Amino acid sequence: MNVYLLQLINGIGTGMLYFVLAVGLSIIFGLLRFVNFAHGAFFLLGAYGCYQLAQLGLNFWWTLLLGPLIVGCLAMLAETYLFRKVYKLPHEMHILITVGIAMVLQEVVITQWGPLGHNVSPPEALQGVVIWGDFVYPKYRVFVIGVGAMMALIIAAVLEGTRLGAIVRAGSESTEMVSLLGLNIKRIFSLVFAFGAATAALAGVLAAPIRGVDPFMGVEALSVAFVVVVVGGMGSFAGALVGGLLVGIVQSMMSTIWPPGANLMIYVAMATVLLLRPNGILGRA
Amino acid sequence: MTNRRDFLKLTAAAGLTATPLFSAAQTEDLVFACPTAMSGNFSAIGKFSEIGVRYAIEQQGTLLGKKLRYRMIDTEAKPATAVRRVQEAMQQHNIKFFPGALLSAESLAMSKEIDRAGGVFLTNAGADEITGIECNRSTFRWAVPTYGIIQGSVRPAADLLPKAKRWYTITPQYVFGDDLLKNAKNLFKEKGIEHVGNSYHSLTEKEFSGHLTNAIATKADVLLLLNYGAQASDTLRQAVSFGMKRNMTIVVAVASGLEQFESLGADICEDIYFGAVYWHTIDTNLNKKLVSDVREKYKITPNYSLAAPFICTRLLMDGIIKANSLEPAAVIASLEGMKFEGLTGMEEVRKEDHQVLRDFYLLKGKAKAKMRDKDDYAEILNAGRSFLSAAEAGCKMA
Amino acid sequence: MKYLTPHRFTLLAIMVALVLPLTLKSGSLATELLIFAMAALACNLLLGYTGLMSFGQGIFYGLGSYSAGWLLLHFNLPLLLAVFSAMGVGALAAAVVGWFSIRQRGVYFVMLTLAFSQMFYFLAYSLKDVTGGDNGLLDIPRPDLEIFGQVVLPTSSPWQYYSFVAILFVAVFIAMQRVSDSVFGRTLLAIRDNEARAAAVGYNVKAFKLMAFVLSGAVTGLAGALHAILAGISPLSNIEYHISESILLMTVIGGTGNLFASVIGAAAYVLAADWLSEIWPRWMMLFGFLLIAVTLYMQQGIWGLLEKLYKSFRQSDSGMEAKSLTAGKDQV
Repeated sequence: MNVYLLQLINGIGTGMLYFVLAVGLSIIFGLLRFVNFAHGAFFLLGAYGCYQLAQLGLNFWWTLLLGPLIVGCLAMLAETYLFRKVYKLPHEMHILITVGIAMVLQEVVITQWGPLGHNVSPPEALQGVVIWGDFVYPKYRVFVIGVGAMMALIIAAVLEGTRLGAIVRAGSESTEMVSLLGLNIKRIFSLVFAFGAATAALAGVLAAPIRGVDPFMGVEALSVAFVVVVVGGMGSFAGALVGGLLVGIVQSMMSTIWPPGANLMIYVAMATVLLLRPNGILGRA
Repeated sequence: MTNRRDFLKLTAAAGLTATPLFSAAQTEDLVFACPTAMSGNFSAIGKFSEIGVRYAIEQQGTLLGKKLRYRMIDTEAKPATAVRRVQEAMQQHNIKFFPGALLSAESLAMSKEIDRAGGVFLTNAGADEITGIECNRSTFRWAVPTYGIIQGSVRPAADLLPKAKRWYTITPQYVFGDDLLKNAKNLFKEKGIEHVGNSYHSLTEKEFSGHLTNAIATKADVLLLLNYGAQASDTLRQAVSFGMKRNMTIVVAVASGLEQFESLGADICEDIYFGAVYWHTIDTNLNKKLVSDVREKYKITPNYSLAAPFICTRLLMDGIIKANSLEPAAVIASLEGMKFEGLTGMEEVRKEDHQVLRDFYLLKGKAKAKMRDKDDYAEILNAGRSFLSAAEAGCKMA
Repeated sequence: MKYLTPHRFTLLAIMVALVLPLTLKSGSLATELLIFAMAALACNLLLGYTGLMSFGQGIFYGLGSYSAGWLLLHFNLPLLLAVFSAMGVGALAAAVVGWFSIRQRGVYFVMLTLAFSQMFYFLAYSLKDVTGGDNGLLDIPRPDLEIFGQVVLPTSSPWQYYSFVAILFVAVFIAMQRVSDSVFGRTLLAIRDNEARAAAVGYNVKAFKLMAFVLSGAVTGLAGALHAILAGISPLSNIEYHISESILLMTVIGGTGNLFASVIGAAAYVLAADWLSEIWPRWMMLFGFLLIAVTLYMQQGIWGLLEKLYKSFRQSDSGMEAKSLTAGKDQV
């Protein structure tokens, strides 16, 4: 099996995870114009939720459902009672508040679960490998690619096919227009925000069996999410998909060609996009 | 391990009662300071280290007529912070003795500072330079440098697997990793092993699928992990998920300790070879006593982060007793060449570079069904000591 | 008193430099406090005065630290020369980073500084031969302060080095205060408040922003250099994201209204890190909450809080007095 082909598949795997992680950030910025530096913290909470629920004996499939749901509800509460006050403030304030929240959440996680990482096993059904001739690949990673693809389809369907989706797309073009239409913009914002957080949490739940959980995974996730969103385009769902896959594949390929380059490259790419085409590959400002 | 909350409460209480915020410069007490990460990325180390130091000090009680006390210095795993707080401890609190550091980057920095200011520093950092090219009179090391690690893990593993002639390495790209790789390559040459490939990765890497894919492609017999701690755990976990245990033997050059096994679980660790600087089932009197005392009093089994600071403190106290003096120079002189009963048996502080000569172990992960208690993750297959001479290690002590 | 009022901030800064040796027992802690105060001042010039939130201050801090370390280690440069060279490196890096970053505004600007910050970090990590990689530069000497070969100020003991840093701190503060009070400073404020209007009036906004960046980079580089000499090492962590975040945190929490507030912010952080971390390793949580509180309710930071307390204290003494004091107070 060609090493590069396998690396490509690995890249698609991580790329799908990055997509699920970053799509919420992108849509939240697109519609709410809210810069959420606590996005990584939602990822963190999702991952730890997965760990904790597994410790309590809960089946992985339930965790996949409950984890994002719980984080989504928490996020909705945060949006209603905290972030709503902040929308009218300049973007820099959004950043500061969410950085503060991310800090607090990280410390809370350490207080509750300790500073060392923990292991999470994939569910029985997904353990082991897929064998196809010479090709060997962990079943769980195939599952992650599958979930990512499914999420992409669901989101695309909602955005293009439903009224809510139309509102979100319209709102990304112009917030004033949407509120002029007399819709309950507050409720919609809450829902979208919760959804964004829930997808980040879902990414966390998916990532936990691959890389374990540790309190600092939120910061890493945030950095990557920003690269994906900037490269793909802030506010664009398709951009998050393209950006995620691009970043995942570049990282994977670089790890064979020139390992230190992997991380350097993605930030160079981020800077380049910001300078030359700040809207990203597929986005609008 | 006991309920984590109780454990946290216990160590918090220990910390509060044992370390007053501002101690006067001159008292009748003798204070040791253990500089380690209490907050930040590596904070778990700090909690265990404190217990190790505390246990040693409580056992001893008084030294040369002075009451023994200790304080933990939080380095936040940052070398600059470590140096500054050590400076503070030496000037403000007149502390001269620093046993129990564990992390390499900060140890290197602290070693220089403590030497400059005339103290005594006992560390367990892995970086070769500490008793190699950066050796100095104030610094002593109990852990094993990279030559000893490879000799103690790779050599016996290779002996146990005579048919395994193709080895693939995964190496973190920094000094420690490079030194391990260099020593491994030398050993490969000696044993006629073909080094079929190496993957470098950064210290922040979490995603090893690419490197593992490379390894699979070479159809190697053995996967040798030269990385450490969380990274080794991640690589191992991902390697197992790729089904690599079926076709390859996996060797982890140096395990970080019991916590690593706990976080991975027996299923992953089964049949994996691990090099270890310390293991709680080491069959020596001192270790058996340590394990039983700590289990009884603190309800946990000692791990490396606990045992290493313990033995450093113990060794320091023995040095002071032998010197019958609290002057750093005298203590250093008495420590040099000292033979003592350590955790791995009779150990010796080598005069030329202050490296402690002691055993290193090869472990093999046990099947879950064969575990005799909840900590019995691995059995010790081999124990031995191999050290480069001080000159070979590059130490030129003033 | 009337003569002193316009210089009240500078006087406060001098007071801090004089009072620290009397209140803190550790020379190295006091030195670190002043070093971060300088870094926060520089960050405030960008944030409070120009309205630019830079997540890249770590770049200049780290580069200043590496260059001073390198020059002292390999070339045995005299102290002042090494330190000033580091300032130059910081200024140069800021010119480059700034030139690129100011091409974007708002959140895109912030992200650019973030991207650059990460790039420099990974560069520093890979160029092991220059930066020492993960180990950093070690064994950095601390030469005495010499002018024309005569030792003017020894630096080996902590309090001796502190006096050297304190002199630099006061000098930097005076310089920054003058910059902020000058026409240049007022223009920065105008740009912060309404960039379009400032451009319409005819100011070369980009040039002003770049100048602010260069100044900020120079002072931050100086801080990094002084820290490397304090600790004798120039570690990789000096160029990491965490230090950019910390410097920004200190600046915001201190208050972006005036320069002295940054000194307070830095002091709060450094002292809390030192004192709190012994009893509560999770002290960062406190700063997280503080950051949220400051952004929502206390936009003037701790300084603003102290100011309010001072005013209410004066008011309870004598209403008239307080009114006259606050009457001519500028909003800056």
